[in-house]
Order: sequence, then structure tokens, then C-alpha cells
Amino acid sequence: MNKLKVVILFLGVLIVGCNQKDDLLFKNPSADQTGVKFTNSISETNDLNILDYLYFYNGGGVAIGDINNDDLPDIFLSGNQVKSKLFLNKGDLKFEDISEKAKIQGNSSWNTGAVMGDVNGDGLLDIYVCAVVGLNGFNGFNELYINNGDETFTESAAKYQLDHESYSSSAAFLDFDLDGDLDMYLLNHAIHTQESFGRADLRNKRSYQTGDKLLRNDNGTFTDVSEEAGIYGGVNGYGLGIAISDFNQDGYPDIFVGNDFHEDDYYYINNTDGTFSESLKKYFGHTSRFSMGNDVADINHDGWPDIISLDMLADDETVLKSSEGDDNIQIQKLRTEKYGYHYQFTRNMLFVNQQNSNYLETALMSGVAATDWSWSSLFGDYNQDGEQDLFISNGIPKRPNNLDFIKFASNDQIQKKIDNTKLVDQQALEMMPSGRTHNVIFKGTKNLMFEDKSDEWIEKDNYVSGATAMADLDNDGDLDLVVNNLNDATSLYINQTNSKANYLKLKFNYTNPNKFGIGTKVFAYSGGDLQYKELYVVRGFQSSSEPMIHFGFNKQQKVDSIKIVWPNKTYQIVKDIKVNQTLTISPEKTKPFNYNTLLKKSKPLFKLNDSTGINFVHKEDDFIDFNRQKLIPYQVSDRGPAIAIGDLNGDGKDDIYFGSSRFKPSKTYFQTDSIYTEKRIISVVNDSINEDVTAVISDFNKDGKNDLLVGTGGAHFSNKMKPLLDTYYVQTNEGFDGKLLPEFYENASVIRTNDFDNDGDLDVFIGSNTISNDFGKIPESYLLENNNGSFSIVQSDVFQKAGMITDAIWEDFNNDGFTDLILVGEWMTPKFLKNNNSDFSEEKLIDSKLSGLWQQIQPFDIDQDGDMDYLLGNWGTNSKFKASEDYPMKMYYADFDDNGSTESIVCIYKKGKYYPLLGLDELAGQIVSLKKKFTTYKDFAGKSIEEIFDKKVLNKAVVLEVNELKSGYLKNEKGHFSFVPFKSELQVSPLTAFIKYDFDFDGKDDVLVGGNYFGVTPFQGRFDSFPGALIKNENSLVLGNTIGLDFSEKSIRHLNIITLKGKPYLLATINNDKAQVYELIN
Amino acid sequence: MKLNKTFLLLITLMISVIACKDNSQPIEITPDEFHKSVDRVVDIMVHDIFSPPVASRIFAYPNIAAYEIIAQQNPEYNSLAGQIKHLGEIPKANSTKNINYQLAALVAHMEMSKKLIFSEFRIEEYRDSLYQIWEAKNPSQFEDSKTYGLEVSDFITEWMNKDNYPQTRTMSKFRVDSEAEERWQPTPPAYMDGLEPHWSKIRPFVLDSSAQFKPIPPPKFSMDENSAFYKELREVYETTNRIVKIGDESEEVQIAQFWDCNPYVSVTRGHLMFATKKITPGAHWIGITKIACRTAGADFDKTIFAYTKTSIAIADGFISCWDEKFRSNLVRPETLINNHFDDKWKPILQTPPFPEYTSGHSVVSGASAIILTDIFGDNFSFLDDTETRYGLPIRSFKSFNTAAQEAAISRMYGGIHYRAAVEVGIEQGRKVGNLVVDKLKMKN
Repeated sequence: MNKLKVVILFLGVLIVGCNQKDDLLFKNPSADQTGVKFTNSISETNDLNILDYLYFYNGGGVAIGDINNDDLPDIFLSGNQVKSKLFLNKGDLKFEDISEKAKIQGNSSWNTGAVMGDVNGDGLLDIYVCAVVGLNGFNGFNELYINNGDETFTESAAKYQLDHESYSSSAAFLDFDLDGDLDMYLLNHAIHTQESFGRADLRNKRSYQTGDKLLRNDNGTFTDVSEEAGIYGGVNGYGLGIAISDFNQDGYPDIFVGNDFHEDDYYYINNTDGTFSESLKKYFGHTSRFSMGNDVADINHDGWPDIISLDMLADDETVLKSSEGDDNIQIQKLRTEKYGYHYQFTRNMLFVNQQNSNYLETALMSGVAATDWSWSSLFGDYNQDGEQDLFISNGIPKRPNNLDFIKFASNDQIQKKIDNTKLVDQQALEMMPSGRTHNVIFKGTKNLMFEDKSDEWIEKDNYVSGATAMADLDNDGDLDLVVNNLNDATSLYINQTNSKANYLKLKFNYTNPNKFGIGTKVFAYSGGDLQYKELYVVRGFQSSSEPMIHFGFNKQQKVDSIKIVWPNKTYQIVKDIKVNQTLTISPEKTKPFNYNTLLKKSKPLFKLNDSTGINFVHKEDDFIDFNRQKLIPYQVSDRGPAIAIGDLNGDGKDDIYFGSSRFKPSKTYFQTDSIYTEKRIISVVNDSINEDVTAVISDFNKDGKNDLLVGTGGAHFSNKMKPLLDTYYVQTNEGFDGKLLPEFYENASVIRTNDFDNDGDLDVFIGSNTISNDFGKIPESYLLENNNGSFSIVQSDVFQKAGMITDAIWEDFNNDGFTDLILVGEWMTPKFLKNNNSDFSEEKLIDSKLSGLWQQIQPFDIDQDGDMDYLLGNWGTNSKFKASEDYPMKMYYADFDDNGSTESIVCIYKKGKYYPLLGLDELAGQIVSLKKKFTTYKDFAGKSIEEIFDKKVLNKAVVLEVNELKSGYLKNEKGHFSFVPFKSELQVSPLTAFIKYDFDFDGKDDVLVGGNYFGVTPFQGRFDSFPGALIKNENSLVLGNTIGLDFSEKSIRHLNIITLKGKPYLLATINNDKAQVYELIN
Repeated sequence: MKLNKTFLLLITLMISVIACKDNSQPIEITPDEFHKSVDRVVDIMVHDIFSPPVASRIFAYPNIAAYEIIAQQNPEYNSLAGQIKHLGEIPKANSTKNINYQLAALVAHMEMSKKLIFSEFRIEEYRDSLYQIWEAKNPSQFEDSKTYGLEVSDFITEWMNKDNYPQTRTMSKFRVDSEAEERWQPTPPAYMDGLEPHWSKIRPFVLDSSAQFKPIPPPKFSMDENSAFYKELREVYETTNRIVKIGDESEEVQIAQFWDCNPYVSVTRGHLMFATKKITPGAHWIGITKIACRTAGADFDKTIFAYTKTSIAIADGFISCWDEKFRSNLVRPETLINNHFDDKWKPILQTPPFPEYTSGHSVVSGASAIILTDIFGDNFSFLDDTETRYGLPIRSFKSFNTAAQEAAISRMYGGIHYRAAVEVGIEQGRKVGNLVVDKLKMKN
């Protein structure tokens, strides 16, 4: 009996052990097993290394396609200095090297990308191999191997005028003019050094060697039409990534180019007349900075192509903190304002298509922002669960952005020699750490989220992996990968999904000369879900994948229907298709396709209206908080402007007061019968030193005339400087008289009025969010009791120590007839302050820990159950902040170096430890002693906050925590509240403004939400892509861009309803921008 | 008797054995050991990367600590207590102890230096090797002198820490006014922030205040071709173009490169970024001080005296200069030349990251030359080999003043300063130097 148990246990262990191996989604058979024996060996010499050629480590290419039409995809591999190879697929994952016989080995000195395409339209895949020519003695040209149909090829680049001698990285096939043949976009790279930024307009001046080219196929020869087509070709185009897709779904292919270094990426929208309009700034708030490979797929089932663009940000602390980081804010300003470049940040970017309006950028939120030195990204449903997964290849032999190298390596003898001779280049190279690192694979899930499966799905190798292509090599229906490694054998990733989930593969037999149907789109409908794919084979980085479309359908047995839209804008529908088969589809009974049907049919609710007379433009002053408090996590000086609405001249019509930033006068717009007109209120305008952050119009002294109360702040004035006193203007018959409030100095963030003591006059709560130059210390907020128009402070710690308050509402949340107060703020939990007959005490009504960076609160019965819920605007999850209940984000606040001023150091949790967000230079810039403790970046990198500071020092710090970054709502459950997060689209930026109104005129209130915030350093980027949203109820939400709002790239501060001629309008007040007025469309 | 004799002999032997055991020799410290200690600190400063103003502070305090110790013993020299800002009298050595003041001075110099640089181990290595030698020679004298040296070092540290340096670390960054063309802008290739915008708030040693020698304002900014400012801008542009054309054999190019003294020049090559690093202007003049001491055969105490006085003048020179730099906040020639004449133009030297007026090198060169002339005399010719380790040649000078003049004008040849910054700068420096000479009664 016992023995049996042991045996069973033993078997059990075995099975578990085996299972773990079986869980790998990909297996890597050896070159000996498959016959794919190829290594892109490069050798550094004194004359040729990364010092001489900046893209020395970019690697070769991979192209996969069936060159002999036996339905088995064959593999072509190019190496930089080694001969190219072609491997014929013999089935069962056995490959034969036919390179010599095929005559494709190549003659150029330095090969790069390799792609397959049917250039001559004979139904056979040809091969195009890019080369770098004219640099470092590299000779040769881009070679075109025309397929002879007998497993041999004839190099014919000159005949097709594709024998370019330039610095090419890759090439992509597309039919941009819809004339039926394939044209080419040739991607070249610059070698221009970073000595000077150079202005962005360098891109307008064409350079043969470095400029990209659009090559139109004119009956078999390729004509350079770049100039007339509007394609940039300057000396600053560091083109490394190329993606072709019909991004705007108008039937014409568009182009996305990823440029390394400071040059912007290019987003070319096809004008449908043979020309393109580069429109990056119009559709993207920011892009990756050192853009490398990219890829396109519809990741959210809306039928529109989304984009990932790779960069080189590491997640690993030891790499991260010893690598050069982002620019500082002033350099960013210079790049964007003086040199004309767009916002670029060092991390991967995930752009979610919003149909002809700004892309949502969600990489940080989606979990794909930091994958280290990344080259190729390929979306594919690798586990066939119906969601797009993502494979990213990685690694660099030497890390040139290593800070110890940059700052110290060069110091000694090596330095001199680098300048004078090349003798010790090798020595210099050896001082750079290796950047060998494993590839990364993410599992796609719903809601734009990706899950890192590198530990479970793939073997963690240590190669420098570059060009990657995808194909079903073994014809078992799932997606395999081929990765061209640098100085190691090429890896095959063989997918083990097999029959665990279902697939459908589609190939096309389209009209000559585009036999393979490049540009064909497929909309697959199944189980209520849409999956959308478009056939472009040049994807990832320097490579092309098998020309086929692959879908995963999990356990579904059939696909309801697929709609195939052909490149000539006709379509056909195939219904009830069995899964687990490969269909070859030819155009049949096609009908014209109406691309307009793809546009989401939300009814516009808003329309910009410029006729109300409101032309207020808020201009933020140029104060940069980070210049003064260098370690704070975000600014506090840019929370204005104030707005208040109310009748200021006793004519019964509401007027509008706009506050202003420091040293600028506020503005007041008076409503007349037909229009708002600006008129100065002298006494108010005279107080223009103040920064006005919040304001209220009300009759405080009960004389029948409205008064104005303005909360000032702005975080630049400090201590007891006058502009920190709030201002109170009492309306008289002559105008407005400034009156004194009780003397308290604070940065006001919110003013809310209420008669809390039921004595018939309006009392005031004034919240404060920060103390100037002392971020992290709790500022004092105040409750002011009104006695016949003059105010006195209600002394109570409940208010004075409430927290870093950003918003407040008076609400009788316990229905006892007394209005209570709810406060929200940063680094704190929302506070319910119960009004016990004018005496306030805090009630614990929230069921979980809920410390957040709360920005706004809005009462709204979102679940429509009759009691009041509260919407809460938080920071969102699309930032480098990370917080959870178990592992809150922490801010250590103390005078770390005892010099009389405080520092605040924000730390996040990563794999068992807390690390400061900022690096050694930033921290030591404030706390110089750290430079003595850590004399190299290597010493510092990977050190947790406990290792960086002595216990004694840390112990004196006040620790503030945030455990929730998501926006959401407090769901009212019989007077207690539980927190329900909003869906992903509402987490892409801080939510900073709410307004409740029945915008769709259905008799029920909705809530409109605004967001976006730019008061962070380039380390965080810009939270710019939130388009606003209309929340109808807990299950219904539409994004602002679909209902007529223009909120992307605008930092919304307030939303209000104003009226003119009896009609309601939406007024959006925006920081550092023009206020918007929208007509409500019924 | 015989026994007695034997006994005596034994006793004598024993005594001599004991004496042998305590065979202490006096420890002698040579000027060269002090020079080497200074050199070591210079090397570490180059490695650790300190900006010129911060470097000047790192020279001054260790020298003062050493000087105050030798002034305790050598009647030729007077203590600086009461002469430089807020320095009190250092603790007296315990008279019962066996103190070697020169050893104590060197200990204090190394200890203070260690506190001021980052890579402490680089000083410790050097220090420990000296400690070993001294300990072997005379452990009790070593121990007593070391204790005293450290005690003085603590005292000087306490005084030093009140110079506002820690407070200036957390003061705000310099705000670039990108709207006004005459105002300083970050310059290529690294576009670094303005360096040490609050250095004028550092406590000076001899100056009443950082603004004591506030120079005349620079020529009024104007891009009018007839304006003095424009002409000076044009002069920089044309001079550098002319000498660049001649190439490296141009005397002016050689002068520019010789006096570059930029501790951090960022270089991009291929995919790489790195820094070429040299000593600072202050360190160059510390190097000339060494050369002067050696040439003149200065003894240990005079060596310390010369270093101390020179480094005080340099430190106050930087405070005076930085006060003006962030007052006039003037744009560098590179920015204007790129905007108006030639967007590809680059100066021969990399533009350092702070406003243009006045030239820091000119100020400290002017100040140092006054001090060294006062100590070693005018027409003191010397061979300046300070920069040979950075691949630069040796240059010979007839006097400290001719060297200072060349250092000053080198900034215009280098394309990083206008003429006014150079000419007014060297005058500003001389005023600082003369003040130091007039006010400090160091030598009897």
C-alpha cells in the first residue's frame, strides 16, 4: 500500500515535471535537427565596429515564403558579412540548404533586411536583400533575386531599377496607387551623428544615401517618386521600422516609419492620388524616441489597425539605473519648440487606433513599455485564444548607453587613443557591459492588457536576437517564428498549440500581378467578436513573414462569417467556415466595399461653436516646479485656471469669471442677450500677480448681489507671501471691493460653498493641495463660517490636517438632513466627513484601502439603483507609477541631507523590493553624499531604497502611500462604499474634470469626463491621449472623439454648462490652451 | 668584579636592545609629498567630474587646513583665523605630544580632500601607503601628528559646512529664458543645464560679497552691424574661421587647446557617447603653482603657503565670476552664430554650460597670476607641462602675467567667449588677486 503511494507520488512528480516542459508554447529545435544552419557572425575589427558604424549590431534579415509553391514555407536568411542562405522546407521541420544552387548568396559587403514579394507578378516569390553601401568601404547594392520557378534565382536589381546603393535597412511592398502592381517603400537610415540636434526641417532636403524612397512600379521598373509623393528623405531619417497598413480605413495603404534618435517617426496618410501627407503630429501626442522595429494589428476587435513601436527601455533595475535615461524638461522644450521635433520618449509605445482621431497611447498601462533593447515586434495569436499576443526580440552585444562608460570609461588612457588611433577600440568596447538578454512574449488579453509570459511560453535564451519572421513552418495551423541572431545560430520557435485551440489560415489567389493579395483585409466574425487582419508581409524589423492570414478561435468549431475586402475595394463574404483549415480564396462575386461602414456610428452630441463670444485663452506661466523641487513626482503649479459662473451684474444672466496664471490678469465675460462679451472688473484685474486656481460666485453677504471668492495658489509663492492669501470681492453698487478673509496662506485647490450650520448664509470649504517648496508635507485646508458676510475659521484638525486636497463636495451622504463633506486628494483616501450638527467627524465608509492620487469627485447614480454613487478621477494606470493594495507606491518625505530643505522620493515595488523611480544623477543632484556612497552607476543600479539610504535616514522620513491608481467609482451599498474601477480606456490619463448633465437628451443624467495632464518630466512622458468620455451608466461608455469632442492633447481642467439665449452649451476650460465651447446637438 | 662587569655588560646590552626596539627616527615630509597629494586630488577630481566652481572649493579647504597647522609652528606664517570669513583659531596641539606639524598638515590635507571628492578609496589608497611608511618610522610621532591633523580637519570641516554649499545643492535650477535672444541658452551637443546658478551665494573667503568686483556690463546686446556687441560676435566668428582654416599649426588654435581646461566634454561617435575630461582652469593654475614651487625650490611650508593663497584667490575668483555670469546671463557666441551666420558652425572648444560673461578662465587666471607674482616675483619664467598628460604640448612663459593673458585670450580663439568677457574678466580677476594680497597677512 505504502509502496504504491510512493510510486504514485513519484509518477505525480514526474508528470508535474513534464507538464512544466509541456507548458512551453514554443520549442526551439536545434539546427542539427532542422537543418537551418545559419549564423550571422560579425567580427569587430579595428576598422569596423560600433565606433565606426553606429548600426554595427543591427543584424541581418529573415524572409519566409513558399518559393517553390509546394505549400511549405521556405526560409531566407541574410547576414551582415556572411553569405545569405535559403532553406527549402521539406516538411516535418526538415530544411535543405539550397543556397548555392539557388544563387542567392549575395555580393554586397554589408547586408541588412531581407524581404520576399512577387516583384514581377508571376506568382512566384522573389527576394529583395538590402545593403549598406558607400560607407566604411562597404560596396555592392540592394539585390533583387527573381525567382526562376526551379529553385534558382537570377539577380536582376538593375533591370528593375532597384539596385540602390544607399544605407538601406529594409523595404516594404505595397500598392499605394491601387494600380494593381506592387510598389516599394525603401527604408534607409542616416548615419548623421548626434553632435548637434539639427532642425527637424533637415528632413525636407533629400539625401540619396540616407533618405527613404517611395518607388513606384511602372510596368516593371521602379521609379523614385518620393519628391512628388511627399515622402521625406533627409539626412536625419534614421529609419529602422516600417509598417504598411490602411490606418484610416479608406482603402488606400498608409505608411508608418519608425526613426531612431531625435528624428520624428513618420505617419504618411495616403491622399489617394498618388501622394501622401505626413501627419504624425496630427494623430500622435508622442512617439517612441529611439524607434526600432514596429508592427500593426487590431488588438481590440474594433476593425482598426493598432501599432506598437519599439524602443530600448529596460525593466530590470540594474540595467535601467545604469543606462542613460530621458532628456530633462528644458532639453525637451528645446527639441520641441526650437528644433521642431515632436514629443518622443524612451520606451515602447502602443497606439490604439481611434478612427481618424488621435491614437490612444497605452504601452505603460498595457504592460508592454519596457522590453529592453528591442528590435522586432510581431503580433500574432500564438495561443489561438482569439487575442493578439506579442513577440519581441531583444539584445545588444554592448550597451553604448551605459552611464559608467559614458562618464568614466573614457577617462583614462583609452580616451586619448579613441581620439587619435583605432588601436584600442577593442579596449573601449570591452568597457561597455553586454546587453545579451532574453526575448519577450506577451499574452494578449481583453481590455488592452498584455501579460508577460516570457517565463512560461518560451525558453529564456541569452542571444542577441534581431530580425524575426512568422510562418506556419510545419503546417500544423499555429504560428512559428524564425529569429536571426547575432553571432549565434538562428532560432526556430516551433509553436506547440497544435490542437489545443482552433485556427483558420487564409491564403489568397488574387489578380495578377498581385497574386498573393498583398493589402487584402479580412474581417472575421465569430462568437460575437470581430477579428481583423490585413495582409502585409514586411513586419517587425528587417524581415518579411509568410504571406497568409492567421486567426485563432480558441474552442469555437466554426467561424460565423469572414468578409474579405480586396485591394481594389471590392469584397465578398464567406459564411459558416470550419476551423482548423487553410483556405485559399480567390475573388468571387465581389461587390464594391463601402469603407464608410467601418466608421463607428456614434451620434455626435457636441459641435464646436465659436459664436458665443467666449475667446478665453489660458496661458500657463513658465514656472517649472522640477527646477525648484527636482525630485517631486509631478508639478503642482499648473492646476489652474479657475472658473466661476454666476450673475455678476444683476441682470439675471450668468456671467463667467476665468482666473489666470501668475502675473496675468483674470478675465470676465458678461452675458448679453446674444453673446458673451469680455469686460474688465478693475479691482479684480488689478490682482493679477495671483495665480487663480479656483473660484466661486455667490451672494455671501446676502445683500442681493453676487460676490466673488477666488482661491489662489500656484505653488511658486511660498511661506507668507501675499499672493497665497485668497481673495474675496464683495459686489457694491460701484463695482467690487476686495475684502479680507481670515489670514491664512495656502495654495488653494478647491472652494465649495454650503450652509453647513443651517443659519441661512453660505459657508465655505477651501481645500489646499500642497505647500510650496515642500511637497509631501500636508497643507492646511479650512472651513470658513460665514457671519453676515465676513468669515471666520472653524478650527478643526479634520480640515486643517485633511491631506493634499484636490476636490470636495458637500453631500448629505447619510441622509440625516445635514450636509456632509466628502474630500478627495493626492496620497490619501477619500474622506467622508459627517456633519454632526455643525461638528464634523470622519466616517469610515469605504470597504477597502483606497489611497490614490485623486483629482475629482462627482456624485452620480451610475448603477441606476436609486442611491448616490461617487465617481472618482484618479491618476490612471498609464504611467511609471505602480501601486497595488499589497505593494503600494511609497513616497519618502524628509530632509535627507539635513540642509534645511526637504526631498520627496517616490518608490515603486518591483520583484520583492522598493526602488526609487529616479536614478543616481537625479537623487545625488539633491543629496550629494550619494555620489560618495555610489561612485559608479553600477554600484547604484539594482539597489533598493533600503540599500541606498541608511536605516537611520529612512526612519526619519514620513512615508506616504498610494495603493490605487485607477479611476473608478464608489458604489453605494446601503451607505457603505466599495470601489469599482472604470474600464481601461478611462485609465490612460489622469481624469481631471467631470460634469453631470443629460447630454443625449434621454431624460437621464450622464457624466462627461475630461482628462490629460502634462506636468510631468520626460521620464513619465505626457498623458495626452485621453479623448474624453461620456458615461451613461456602469455599462455604457463612449469616448469623446466619437461624439464630437476634441479633448485629445488638451489638459482639461473644468467642464461646465453655460447658457446663451436659453440654449445650453458645454464649456471646457483647458490649462494653457483656448477654452472650448460646444453646442449640444439634439 | 668580574661578575659585576659581566652584569654591567648585560645591562648595557639590554638597554641597547630596548633602545634598538624603539629605534624611532624623525619623520621628514618633503614638499614633493605634498605636491603628490595635490596631484592625486586633481586626478580624482577629473575622474569624479567636478565643475570648475566646485573644483575651486575642493582645492581651497584642504590647503587652508594644512596651512593653519604649519602656521601653528612656523613663526614665518600667520594664521588665517580672523582674516578669512568666519574662520576661528584651530585647536592647539597638545604640547605634551610629539607632533610633526608638517605630517599633521599633510594628514589634514588628505582628510579634507577625501571629504570633498567622491571616490574616497582613491585617496585612501594613497594615504594608507604613506601611513604605513610613517608608522614604521616613528609610530608615536605618527600617531600623535595624525590625531592632531584629523582634529584640525574636523574643525575646518565644521567651518566649511557653513559656507552655504549644502543649501545651494537644493536651490532651483537655472531657468532658461528661451524668448529673449540675448539670454543664455543651453548649447550643443549636450545642452546641459546652466551650471551652479547659485554659486554667488557661496561664502567667499576674502571678498566682502560676491558682487564686490561687479564688472561693467557687457556691450549691449544688438544684432545691428554697427553695434559693439555685433562686432565682437563677428570677431569670434571670423577669428575662429580664420585659424581653423590654418589648422592645428595655427598658434591661436594651439593656445585655445592648451587652455581648454574643460572637465567634461561630451563626444558622440557612431552609436557611442562618452566624455573627454581634462582638469579645470583652477587646477591648471594649481599646477602652475606646483611648477613655481619646484622651480623656486620652495620648502614644505612655503609650498603650502603658495597653494593656499592661490587657491583662496581662485575660489573667490569663481564666486565673483559666477555672480556676474548669472546676472548678465549672456548668450554664448555659438548660439548666435548658429542662428545668424552658420547653423553648422562649431567653436574650436566645446562651449561650457553656463552664461558667457565674464570668462571664468580669465578671472581665475588674472587672480592666480597676481598671487604667484606676489610670492615668486615678476619675470618668473617657467615651462608649463600641466597639460601634457592630456596630450597637449609644453608651453613656456616669461611670467605668470603673460600666461594669464594667454589663458584669457584663448577663450576667444576657442570660440566660446567674446573679447569683452576676456578683457574685463582678467581685470576682474586681478582685482580679486590684489584684494587677497592686500588683505591677507600670511607671511611675516
